[in-house]
Amino acid sequence: MSNSHSDTVPLHPSSQSDIDEIENLINASVQSGPATVLPARPPSPPRASIPVSSTPFIQSQIPPPPPQSSSSNQKVPTVAAAPPPPPPYVGNSSSIAATGFGPAPNTLTEPVWDTVKRDLSRIVSNLKLVVFPNPYREDPGKALRDWDLWGPFFFIVFLGLTLSWSASVKKSEVFAVAFALLAAGAVILTLNVLLLGGHIIFFQSLSLLGYCLFPLDIGALICMLKDNVIVKIVVVSVTLAWSSWAAYPFMSSAVNPRRKALALYPVFLMYVSVGFLIIAIN
Amino acid sequence: MEESSYSNLSTSHLLGSVPAVANGEKKASYEVPEANLQIFPPNNGSGGGSGRGYQTLEAPTEDFEQQAANNWKGVFSISSYTQYFNVDTDVVIYRLICSFFPATGDFFSKIDANPDLYGLIWITTTLVFALASFGNCATYLMQKHTDGTTSWSFDVGYINAAASGIYGYAVVVPVAFYFLLQYLGSNASLVRFWCMWGYSLSIFVPTAIILLIPLEILRWIIILIAGTASSCFVALNLRTYIEGPNDLRMMVVAAFLLQMALAIFIKVWFFA
Repeated sequence: MSNSHSDTVPLHPSSQSDIDEIENLINASVQSGPATVLPARPPSPPRASIPVSSTPFIQSQIPPPPPQSSSSNQKVPTVAAAPPPPPPYVGNSSSIAATGFGPAPNTLTEPVWDTVKRDLSRIVSNLKLVVFPNPYREDPGKALRDWDLWGPFFFIVFLGLTLSWSASVKKSEVFAVAFALLAAGAVILTLNVLLLGGHIIFFQSLSLLGYCLFPLDIGALICMLKDNVIVKIVVVSVTLAWSSWAAYPFMSSAVNPRRKALALYPVFLMYVSVGFLIIAIN
Repeated sequence: MEESSYSNLSTSHLLGSVPAVANGEKKASYEVPEANLQIFPPNNGSGGGSGRGYQTLEAPTEDFEQQAANNWKGVFSISSYTQYFNVDTDVVIYRLICSFFPATGDFFSKIDANPDLYGLIWITTTLVFALASFGNCATYLMQKHTDGTTSWSFDVGYINAAASGIYGYAVVVPVAFYFLLQYLGSNASLVRFWCMWGYSLSIFVPTAIILLIPLEILRWIIILIAGTASSCFVALNLRTYIEGPNDLRMMVVAAFLLQMALAIFIKVWFFA
């Protein structure tokens, strides 16, 4: 499919990097013996494996015995050569081979801390991709390949709570307004891009707009702690600029260049209104 | 077959390898090539090429497609609403500037070919934000001007009042006029009414900024000027649209008065 592409349609730079990525993965897996294709997101460590053919009295809750882990150590260096960051949880690649895209029974029986840690690390990595300068910024399709909605949820709720805490009257109404504004705003902004004939994935865009709230979260926290109006205005302006800078590449590449301003203005409007809410609440 | 459908997706050169909005209707049209009257235009009509190639295989249905002027694919399909957002930045800016100068009543002829709902939605939203934020600022400045004490706190209720007032007005009034005109026999188009009323509200956004000045008499003068300009815009355009019998002139006067009432409501509620 990719070959016919190169004949007719010029590839987007990100497509070429994706094709390289896939080819490297295929080469890496061919080199490492058993056909293991790493799934897109790091799989959970298969710690507690449900014994299939053992007697009822043998409980294998402990991690698999050393002979298997030494073979996985041997596999890790070759796998680490692949361009995507080597997943920190590649434990038992032989069991990964058995279960394509993520071993289902193992995520059910793994400890809760593992699940939470995996989600937290995904939030942190998405945050680093979106909000901080990094080499992937010109490639918006790659930026949030592994999108999730936990991060945006935490940031929106945190912002609502901070605003509600710093308000002196009508606290619950402030939280309701902030939450509704941000949640409905993210949905409406995504619909706006789709209606203007742009091409984005709905949940990826929701996720991105949620992650871009992180600077405003920091701003709201600082404004809650320090109540001077001038300081608030400066802090909010800086974090507002930071949020807009984070959201700009993704939104502007999603639509026709003649309609770029039409897609970006509502994003700016939403962040300015949230910024104003942060300054004005006292 | 799969390859041809992927190469026609105009999304594939914009993003990474992850294709956007999986268009289910497109797949249906490719699986059944001899479905004659149900050929959907690929991807908002922008995927040109082999889509039209398929249509030319059955020539009589091409006429049928062109006669059905709007691509209505149901209430819950986004692509049936994209026809109302088919504007570029310069078009929107041009229409905004036209709405600031109400002297000529030819707005309807300017939007006739391509009415857009983008202006309605985002001008009303901007106005809601402007009223809520500058209204709060104005109350604060007024208190500081008269008392000198700052016992002011941010009133979140302004956002609720602004949202219900402005959104309610901008949605309900054109619908009411549409139904009234349909009932009285004149031909009306709801989308064009919404578009015109939406752009008529754009004057109030800079007005809200100017109304920050904490002088009562100046505020009244400003709001009356802005209200008159906006109402004249609405009334003149409506008059040129309804080229009909005399009793429809009451409509025009009613539209004028409603817009003035909105202006006065803005002044009294937010900038008291």
